[in-house]
Amino acid sequence: MASLADSFLADLDELSDNEAHPDDEDLDAAAMEEDVDGDMPDIETLNYDDLDSVSKLQKTQRYNDIMQKVDDALEKGTDISSHGIVLEDDPEYQLIVDCNALSVDIENEIIIIHNFIRDKYRLKFPELESLVHHPIDYARVVKKIGNEVDLTLVDLDGLLPSAIIMVVSVTASTTSGKPLSEESLQKTIDACDRALALDLAKKKVLDFVESRMGYIAPNLSAIAGTAVAAKLMGTAGGLSALAKMPACNVQLLGSKKKTLAGFSTATSQFRVGYLEQTEIFQSTPPSLRTRACRLLAAKSTLAARVDSIRGDPTGKTGRDLREEIRKKIEKWQEPPPAKQPKPLPVPDSEPKKKRGGRRLRKMKERYAVTDMRKLANRMQFGVPEESSLGDGLGEGYGMLGQAGSGKLRVSLAQSKLASKVAKRFKEKQYGSSGATSGLTSSLAFTPVQGIELSNPQAHGNQLGSGIQSTYFSETGTFSKIKRM
Amino acid sequence: MASFGLGKMSDFLLPTLSRKRDVDCIIRDTLDKVLVLRFGRAADPLCPHFDEILSKTSREVSKFATIALVDVDSEEIQVYVKYFDITLIPSTVFFFNAHHMKMDSGTADHTKWVGSFHSKQDLIDVVEAIFRGAMKGKLIVSCPLPPERIPRFQLLFKDV
Repeated sequence: MASLADSFLADLDELSDNEAHPDDEDLDAAAMEEDVDGDMPDIETLNYDDLDSVSKLQKTQRYNDIMQKVDDALEKGTDISSHGIVLEDDPEYQLIVDCNALSVDIENEIIIIHNFIRDKYRLKFPELESLVHHPIDYARVVKKIGNEVDLTLVDLDGLLPSAIIMVVSVTASTTSGKPLSEESLQKTIDACDRALALDLAKKKVLDFVESRMGYIAPNLSAIAGTAVAAKLMGTAGGLSALAKMPACNVQLLGSKKKTLAGFSTATSQFRVGYLEQTEIFQSTPPSLRTRACRLLAAKSTLAARVDSIRGDPTGKTGRDLREEIRKKIEKWQEPPPAKQPKPLPVPDSEPKKKRGGRRLRKMKERYAVTDMRKLANRMQFGVPEESSLGDGLGEGYGMLGQAGSGKLRVSLAQSKLASKVAKRFKEKQYGSSGATSGLTSSLAFTPVQGIELSNPQAHGNQLGSGIQSTYFSETGTFSKIKRM
Repeated sequence: MASFGLGKMSDFLLPTLSRKRDVDCIIRDTLDKVLVLRFGRAADPLCPHFDEILSKTSREVSKFATIALVDVDSEEIQVYVKYFDITLIPSTVFFFNAHHMKMDSGTADHTKWVGSFHSKQDLIDVVEAIFRGAMKGKLIVSCPLPPERIPRFQLLFKDV
């Protein structure tokens, strides 16, 4: 494959050559430069008026040789006679390898011609390229429409799905294009013809490869079927190229880009390529198709790798893999095992889960024995205690309130929790003075009918805990002020 | 030998015992689980209902109880009938590790449970109470059911 730079130079040479050369698409023309590789040629360096400067494949010797051999081989029929142990020396295997490369080249060539047609036809019907993506379909449609302005006279029935035909007709009636000149129309039609001819050639090549597929890649054909295997190999560019691809790429080989035409992508199918046509895939229920596709791609990649080194010419590995795939898919479809009701656990066998932590401690504090109660529970030796009803009746007071007990007054011990609650409560009540939430002002009216200045810095500490949200807080302020 | 009774969808098959040897075996072999032995006969109107409750709960309590049915009409079993003084059908006797467990349910007879249960949950409660008491080492436990849910039997003396 020529590099981009070489192709540019070649094109420049071609410009001078082409004036003398008649532009006919005869297959038996003399050998010329190799075809351009897949990269899009730079627009400025190409002479777009002439088809031959764009598409050269059909003139190459290589193309003609291979097509000739393919025709011969197809006439000979399926010839699976005994071949030598080393397959690489076999001429037919070489032919297959060439065919693969050729099919890739044809593919690239078709793309180039498609660009050519598109650029020419843009003057007439610019929207068509976004409605019809596939190059061959585009070429057919262009050929059918020709220079026609009124699309109702054109019958696109077999070429496109009816939804697309409808959209095309509607767009054509409002298109901004103008009819082409006779000369450019002729060139466009020629290009279409060439694209279609190339497409036919590619089909022929693929048919040939497919017929030999069972011999070339038995394992891959065992899994995916000969047609799909041939297509995969053709798109990948050979068996070794296919083997080198990771499975995720194999999954996407040949995936078509869907034309949207204003429809939503919500229902668009997941991405799967040629593997969609395998019978394994077609026979799985739709819910399992994504998983099945991934599995198929993985196993067929493995099979392709085995085939590329001719590890198993009998195809047994492929059949085993196929069996594995089938078993897995069946297993997915099994209903889940019926649930049996669990027997009750043995009483008292599971120890109760005791929780701990700050929250629990705070909860327990509310029911803890207070100092007052502790004092009331104890008594001094030899000193009769006071009681609520006097004279030993009623509840005894114990050490509470007795002279000489060492405590002057027993006050309710402030727990840490209570103090925080009290502080917050006080702030809330006296800080906002019934104003709406948001910023608090440092001025506040207390119930004592005075003005209380509260320290705005105090709020900073309140918010410092960071646990509480300050969005709805009445004591909250801006948390961050950036200097512009 | 022990035969298995017919069961419905969700039950274990309750073994029915008619030989003394089987009863001895099962009492001896049930370790650390309450053994519920129902003495009854198939003909009695209450028995099938009771048996169904037993079989439905047998799976649920299977972790701490075993349930078995003893046919009171068999000759070998009469020894037990006389020993436990079984007159009313169905009667249930509880064992734990080969000790006979008594339960005070407000009736005169603490050694056995007479009659059926109103619901599965009652049966589970009773078995659990026996289990807890037994694990603590008690030989008699009190019944957790309120008196309304304990089936009462009128003791008819010679059909009076």
